Amino acid sequence: MNRTLPVARRHPIAATFGLPDFLPSFAVLWQRRELLWSMTGRNIRSQYKQSILGYAWIFVNPLMQMLVLTFVFSTILRIGSDVIPYPFPLFLFVALLPWMFFSNALSSATDSISGSASLVTKVYFPREILVAAAVFSKIVDLLFGLLILLGLMVFYNEYPSWTAVWVPAIFAIQLLFTIGLALPLAALNLFFHDVRYLVGVVLLVWFYITPVIYPVEMVPDRYKVLFDLNPLSLVLNAYRRVLLDGTSPGWDRMLLGIAGALLAFLLGYYLFKRMEAGFADRI
Amino acid sequence: MPTGSEPPGIEFAQVSKRFQIQEGRTLREFVPALFRGRAWSPPFYALRDVSFRVARGETLGIIGRNGSGKSTILKLIAGVMAPSEGEINVYGRVSPLIELGAGFHPDLTGRENVFLNASILGMSRKEVSARFDEIISFAELWDFVDTPVKRYSSGMYIRLGFSVAVHSDPEILLIDEVLAVGDAAFQEKCLAKMQEFRSRGVTIVLVSHSMGLVQDFCQRALLISGGHLLADGEPAEVVQSYTEAVIHTAEMPV
Repeated sequence: MNRTLPVARRHPIAATFGLPDFLPSFAVLWQRRELLWSMTGRNIRSQYKQSILGYAWIFVNPLMQMLVLTFVFSTILRIGSDVIPYPFPLFLFVALLPWMFFSNALSSATDSISGSASLVTKVYFPREILVAAAVFSKIVDLLFGLLILLGLMVFYNEYPSWTAVWVPAIFAIQLLFTIGLALPLAALNLFFHDVRYLVGVVLLVWFYITPVIYPVEMVPDRYKVLFDLNPLSLVLNAYRRVLLDGTSPGWDRMLLGIAGALLAFLLGYYLFKRMEAGFADRI
Repeated sequence: MPTGSEPPGIEFAQVSKRFQIQEGRTLREFVPALFRGRAWSPPFYALRDVSFRVARGETLGIIGRNGSGKSTILKLIAGVMAPSEGEINVYGRVSPLIELGAGFHPDLTGRENVFLNASILGMSRKEVSARFDEIISFAELWDFVDTPVKRYSSGMYIRLGFSVAVHSDPEILLIDEVLAVGDAAFQEKCLAKMQEFRSRGVTIVLVSHSMGLVQDFCQRALLISGGHLLADGEPAEVVQSYTEAVIHTAEMPV
């Protein structure tokens, strides 16, 4: 089934999606980048518009999580007080912040297409924009969280060294991986509504098998491999290393990370595009 | 079917649209159904072997009963759905006027929604800024630009949606029963706008239950019934065969 549409600005919903379709579809995405910004803006503005505290809620959630987790795991359970060379809240928050971004982005992206049913059945635009916008709009929460992190650093008088310049690169890897994972989940959620619940459960388990509340050094050797295979574990450890330890991740590891994230993204994008033709039929 | 040499706007060649209804929307229902071999119900054809061609600048009306496949045709032209069989070619920038305001977000103001909706339709921010005053004036909503659209009446909603769509500079305009809503004065205004588009050479595809509108406004009409294309020709003739068919089956709900 070949649909020729000799028109820029519009991309047909292809019934199939193969290797040669990658570049044209990225070109269309680039043309429609303004839509991505508008959608992201819509998500951000509508998220807190109805609440009394408004944007202040962005601070409340991460702050409470940090306080509760610190109380339970540091004050009561006394995790790693001998292994962690810096204050627990700081140690926790450096990983908790990007974890919350990942977790919030993934669950809101999973619902992004089924939540825009009226749009998806009326107008064509690249549907991956909905997923990407859901992920991007969580960056705002992350940036506000950074202010809390900064406050913690000032409070404990622990400032990052020059290695903090690696943070954007690590974040790019995390972002690419998150979108790559979110794309097929958002598509599958249209076919099976179980997916959103599954994502909730998986995220819960994932949180505990990722070194957020404990240092990876505490993990027994025979389980270490589990952590070496967990992309989130690698990413969060990298944040800790560049922000707290002051050690560089090294170019080889970074390149490996970028390659892995890119692979995840391309695979997720491919799966998404394969399912896209059926979206309007399913909603 | 006219096969003249005029530049094409839309081409449908032996298009069928099949829906396969999945049994159960949760895995708990779907997986057992899969084992019983009944995961997918028998396919339902919303369109069967439909071929037609719309010339650039032509005004086409599509009539038929509810559920006959009219809206499916619009969705296929809009590129929202892919055909199961056959080929569709669309030449030009499509602006769907299907169920207006689909892109609106209730919590955002009229102003924010105009920008959002226009960018969904493919307009750049610059284009929208340039036409913003025109869009609001046409919709007569200057007093409510900065009010969240959830406080709008349904008429205001529709006026804003229509206004954004007609200012998106379409080459192909898809209209699904929009004129049934809104007050008489605004309907008049919309009709005038559509006539302006027609004289400017915009291809218009109109789905309507208003036989008068199809006869007065369209140059050609299609009659769709049960997914089949029954008639294609002069609006007056097509409307007549439709009314006759309706009278013959008057007992059935229309």
